[in-house]
Amino acid sequence: MTSPVKDSLEHQLKALLPRGRVLTSAAQLAGYGADGLGYKNHLPDAVVIPADAEELAGFMQGARALGVPVVMRGAGTSLSGGPVAAQGGVIVHTSALKKIREINTEGFWCEVECGVGLNDLDAALKPHGVFYPPDPSSGPVCTLGGNVASNAGGAHCFRYGVTSNYVLGVEAIMLDGSVHRFGGPAGGRGPWREDWKRFMIGSEGTLAAFTRFWLRLLPLPEKVWTFRATYPDMKTTEAAIHALVAHSSYPAAIEMLDPRGVAMVESSQMACGLPEGSFMLLVEIDGPEALVNARVESVAEILRHAGSQDVMFSDEDALRQKLWKARKASGGLLGQLSPSYVVQDAVIPKRALAEVLQLVYDEADAANIRAVNVFHAGDGNLHPNFLFDSRVPGELEKVEFISKRLMQRVIDVGGTLSGEHGIGNDKSAYMPLVFGPDSMRLQLAVPATFNPAHQMNPLKVFDNRHFIA
Amino acid sequence: MNVFPPMQHERLFVPFLDEVDGTLCLPANATAADVHAQARAHRLRFPLLLDEAKTLREQIAATTHAPASCRFGPYCDNILGMNWRLPSGRIARIGERVVKTTTGYDWLRFLLHSGSRYGEPVDYVLRLRPDCGFTAIGRFDGDTKALRSCVSKLLHSGWMHWWDAVDYVTEGRASFVRVMIHCVPEQAPIFAQQLEHVAASTGTQLKLQNNVPPPLDGLPDLVIKTTPDRAIGLSLELAHAARRCVALCYSGVVHVYMNESDDLTERTQALVQPYTAELHTLGGDWHSRWLPATPPTITESAWLNTLEEAIHEH
Ligand SMILES: Cc1cc2nc3c(=O)[nH]c(=O)nc-3n(C[C@H](O)[C@H](O)[C@H](O)COP(=O)(O)OP(=O)(O)OC[C@H]3O[C@@H](n4cnc5c(N)ncnc54)[C@H](O)[C@@H]3O)c2cc1C
Repeated sequence: MTSPVKDSLEHQLKALLPRGRVLTSAAQLAGYGADGLGYKNHLPDAVVIPADAEELAGFMQGARALGVPVVMRGAGTSLSGGPVAAQGGVIVHTSALKKIREINTEGFWCEVECGVGLNDLDAALKPHGVFYPPDPSSGPVCTLGGNVASNAGGAHCFRYGVTSNYVLGVEAIMLDGSVHRFGGPAGGRGPWREDWKRFMIGSEGTLAAFTRFWLRLLPLPEKVWTFRATYPDMKTTEAAIHALVAHSSYPAAIEMLDPRGVAMVESSQMACGLPEGSFMLLVEIDGPEALVNARVESVAEILRHAGSQDVMFSDEDALRQKLWKARKASGGLLGQLSPSYVVQDAVIPKRALAEVLQLVYDEADAANIRAVNVFHAGDGNLHPNFLFDSRVPGELEKVEFISKRLMQRVIDVGGTLSGEHGIGNDKSAYMPLVFGPDSMRLQLAVPATFNPAHQMNPLKVFDNRHFIA
Repeated sequence: MNVFPPMQHERLFVPFLDEVDGTLCLPANATAADVHAQARAHRLRFPLLLDEAKTLREQIAATTHAPASCRFGPYCDNILGMNWRLPSGRIARIGERVVKTTTGYDWLRFLLHSGSRYGEPVDYVLRLRPDCGFTAIGRFDGDTKALRSCVSKLLHSGWMHWWDAVDYVTEGRASFVRVMIHCVPEQAPIFAQQLEHVAASTGTQLKLQNNVPPPLDGLPDLVIKTTPDRAIGLSLELAHAARRCVALCYSGVVHVYMNESDDLTERTQALVQPYTAELHTLGGDWHSRWLPATPPTITESAWLNTLEEAIHEH
């Protein structure tokens, strides 16, 4: 964008946000070029930080006249290229909208602003004996706005379900500045004929700016047992997973780290003595003490019966943290191991686990790309992480080639592209694999309804969503 | 870079049962018996059934929740995909067969309870749950205060996740609390002990029936969705004009069963009327096969025009 135009944009933005902040210097914008993926950089023309929800509403009212794309951003931890200005424009950073407005334990709901951090909400709920179950591992930083917009999942979603299972209501501001409440504490349609919040959840910032949410809560489980077991091969690991998902203890989490992930952890300072070449399963059950204690042996027995020789389990916090260590450390280590990484997020029927993992290994090895798998095995939600260096010519292309083959296979076995990270601009190229002519028409009708010019987050979800001023 | 060309055909679901994932695809016109017949052989169950004889489609058209939504959530969290016949007669695939997805906009939840305004379901993909082999129903009797306190005890503890259902049932002037448990037979005494503890601490009388089928209340005439803390009060207020009210306590849903009569539309309308403003404020709603759908607002009409164009296109 040329300088006089940029000056004019800055001037207009300052008028729209008298109390908030407007950032335009190169140094300020640098931090907003990428998301959690890191390797794709799209600098915005400006970043605005509204002081509160009212100011965000004011901004949205004037946004259409700005004639540039508007991209909502929470903590920017997306792993699919969601909160980046792929077509330039203004990023709206929601960091100041941090109020937890109400916690209603009798009604099992809370009302929060979109910039509230997930772990901050957890901490606020805990003294009330309730919790909000979706738990993406980015919890220490990610915001509820990002969680709702990308329908986040997490390790405990096998039993508890994902964000969409817990959103009772969404306050959304459209590009004409109109403010709408879809649902509310009661979680129904409100005064509308249709349940519009269904389109809002998981819409990745392409329909509206969300300011507030009403979220469903559950009583905190009294007791948690964590299990860790390792297996010599995928066949025995798969047998354990298949037995666990059908078990009457309804595990809350069934997580897996593959031998390449185990090697990564064991060669780091986070080593915890996992056998070389092993597949690691991490399982958690929770519930009332009497009930959950009665289930411990049967879960351990499943893990042993499938072929593990080293099943460990505990209900003590310190030991449980140790059992989780390898799983939790793996995310951070991935970032340290290579300059760039792409994480896929496909979900597959669990009977195809071994087959699809083998494809990941074969393709990655053939291309000489390092692949590490750390994922939500209970849900069949794979996270193959492809480690590469985006500065080396041809590396990204290799990863894209592998991803393409992987996604085709995922669809062939009956799976889907993304289970919790969303599509962003990282996976939009694969969307034609999923939707046939009629379902594609329905899909495109949603942004056409709320954001027909694609001013909100263009080039995301579907890559033909261009904003034309 | 668009690496894949547009697909020429819909990837429709073909009926299947995947016993590993616990998913079952079957026609929308299947009944509870059809679901049982397929699921039971694999020690799986679909807990959200309301009526033995009515089709799944009729049950889902009647309400968003069933008693077991207490533990497993509403229908929309337990139906993963659909083959959906559009008004043009063409069939589109909606949703997935896997248990989670963030691929595209959520038409599944939008269409699931939309009646026949945008077409109709042809097949559903259901998420099944392990059949643990033992079902029991606890009935708590007592006065209103004791029963309310009983529900509060049942819901405000870590046990809440493990009750298949906690319902406040009112018939005429009499009410009772109904709890459904489902577990492996060896753990039944642990559940029973907790129910006895709740009865003792709330002054209610507990009768426990073991090895009984889950309660099938039938299709409600009116469904009101409010907050969990309002459901019992609402249910008691509505009960005077109804044959039976069942408050699904954690879901905040009241299922109202009306007395047979030929002016059900008027009576249902009159029953809901005093609550509409509060329900709008709370983001709740109501639904009845005796009432027309709420007319769209002006804003909503504009949105619907665009959506309907896509839906009706040939
Ligand atoms: C280490 C790590 C671990 C992760 N683990 C998980 C995991 O276990 N499960 C999981 O699901 N994800 C995980 N993620 C991905 C990411 O953290 C989640 O998608 C999270 O929900 C994003 O939240 P955010 O606040 O960072 O949103 P952002 O990244 O800022 O934005 C995400 C999307 O939401 C939109 N958006 C944000 N706020 C609003 C708003 N107010 N209104 C409208 N749209 C908005 C953006 O435009 C964008 O499309 C992980 C990421 C990292 C880096």
